[in-house]
Amino acid sequence: MSIMEYNGSAIMAMKGKNCVAIAADRRFGVQLMTLSTDFQKIFPVTEKVYLGLPGLATDVQTLAERFRFKVNMYKLREERDISPKTFAHMVSSTLYERRFGPFFCEPVIAGLEKDGTPFICSMDLLGCINHAKDFVVSGTASNQMYGTAEGLWEPELEPEDLFETISQAMLSAVDRDASSGWGVIVHVITPEKVITRTLKARMD
Amino acid sequence: MEALFGIVGKDFVVTASDRTSARSIVIMKHGEDKSRELNKHTLMLYTGEAGDTVQFAEYIQRNIQLYGIRNGIPLSVHATANFTRRELAESLRSRNPYHVSVLIAGTDPKTGKPELYWLDYLGAMVKMNFAAHGYASYFCMSTMDRYWKEDLSVEEAISLLKKCIAELKTRFIAQLPEFMVKVVDKNGVREIQL
Amino acid sequence: MADRYSFSLTTFSPSGKLVQIEYALNAVAQGVTSIGIKATNGIVIATEKKTPSFLVDDSTMEKVAVISSNIGMVYSGMGPDARVLVDKARKSAQEYKRVYHEEPPTVMLVKEVASVMQEFTQSGGVRPFGVSLLIAGFDETGPALYQVDPSGSYWAWKASAIGKNMVNAKTFLEKRYNESMEIEDAVHTAILTLKEGFEGQMTESTIEIGIAQLVEEVSFDGQTSKVGKFKKLSGSEIKDYLANIA
Repeated sequence: MSIMEYNGSAIMAMKGKNCVAIAADRRFGVQLMTLSTDFQKIFPVTEKVYLGLPGLATDVQTLAERFRFKVNMYKLREERDISPKTFAHMVSSTLYERRFGPFFCEPVIAGLEKDGTPFICSMDLLGCINHAKDFVVSGTASNQMYGTAEGLWEPELEPEDLFETISQAMLSAVDRDASSGWGVIVHVITPEKVITRTLKARMD
Repeated sequence: MEALFGIVGKDFVVTASDRTSARSIVIMKHGEDKSRELNKHTLMLYTGEAGDTVQFAEYIQRNIQLYGIRNGIPLSVHATANFTRRELAESLRSRNPYHVSVLIAGTDPKTGKPELYWLDYLGAMVKMNFAAHGYASYFCMSTMDRYWKEDLSVEEAISLLKKCIAELKTRFIAQLPEFMVKVVDKNGVREIQL
Repeated sequence: MADRYSFSLTTFSPSGKLVQIEYALNAVAQGVTSIGIKATNGIVIATEKKTPSFLVDDSTMEKVAVISSNIGMVYSGMGPDARVLVDKARKSAQEYKRVYHEEPPTVMLVKEVASVMQEFTQSGGVRPFGVSLLIAGFDETGPALYQVDPSGSYWAWKASAIGKNMVNAKTFLEKRYNESMEIEDAVHTAILTLKEGFEGQMTESTIEIGIAQLVEEVSFDGQTSKVGKFKKLSGSEIKDYLANIA
């Protein structure tokens, strides 16, 4: 049993037309026992940037706290909101700082740049960034998510269609992973607003 | 083999911990209290590596006490749980980490709302309506899933607790003959007999 | 009496002054004049290059320093002190880049340098820097020109002058500056301002000029975009400007 699979998680992000979506499952468990079904794995960074943290729950919570601190300090210092690209590099350097004693977490970042360009990326636990033009996945259900997202994603999706696509991709993927699921939360980030919805999955 | 329980009720939390202190296959002591009162409205139950447990619990207890003395206002349950989580998470990556799992039960000093937090030795923290640590969780989470509901009365919560203990008596290989049961509400912590 | 307050930097004089800082400003006021002008599409910084003897090989003298790809600075005052600040500024820019993978915004670099200068007014065993700086940069928010003094205070300017001839130069700039000036005009104005009170012959080897402006850049994937860049003008470029003025 790998430490990355101890608590279980599934997170993905997708690009749409002038929008991005990020989704996560809501399970918190210890190996095969589910303990909670409203566990937070996606954290708002700014109004336009969201961070998904799949992996070991203690590191998810520690990293969420660290990035909240770092982004607050950035905002006070620079008197501006951090852009998703810059934030991704902040996450990357924070993870690489622990190269020889890493946080067991492989983050996903989704957001809109200042000019409205969609941005998504994922990272390994050492901070190696992976950019994608379509979607990124991370967590115990990553194999399943690659399959469902590959099949459902198409370019230039409008916010509502993107929501439907990412939702179906998530629901199908987590149903085939014992360590994740028990509900899904989806955020669709558009230039005007962020649409947040929670979905019921197979609750068994 | 140790068992900790917590059940959130209408305006209180019922907690229970088994009273045995075991080492390997030998019961070393009956009548152990595996809990510490952190402040007037917060109780922490602990289990884990012998030696670490009491050290850690009292370290947390004294820090929470210190906060109350320094600031003249008690630390909320939420803040207490987050403080404890951070201590565990930092300890995890230290030279000799604490191997302690805890439940933090209490009522908010302002609103009087009951709260229960589950923390493992890694520093993962979850807010729950009912929780258990140790082997007991494998036997009793499902029982509590089935019978827990919103706004339980003390009597209902205790009857649920009894169901859990009965389940352990029937299916668990180790004997846990005695439990220490405590109720945390706005008046503080009190022990009750089953 | 006043002498009693001039040894320890951390001691205020009864009138509330830190005299060591005032002495540092005196050192700046003896330094060679430097000019900075903000144009609509860039910044120019310029300075005079003065050698103690014509025997000195002035081709190795460098007063306008590149800090990062989009920021440069020039000083008036003590050369060796300025070099320490240039080193610190360059290092700080690289540290920023290491974390965020982007060039520091001008104001962040300015704050960093200003805080170093402030530290040297409050620490033990050190003296303030005998320099004022003009920092020119071009970032996401556009062109920006800052002046930093030995006390660590800083301001943004549309145009400023520091050093020996600053009073005259500022009066000159106040007359010549206008908001709609473009970078070419600004370079001319900077040269003309330097010319006021210039001793000796003004040639490409006796002045230095640096410019921050937008430049087209091709990224690794073939995308072109306009990004802010700072560059020093070469001898021949300066020669051309001088020829146009004369």
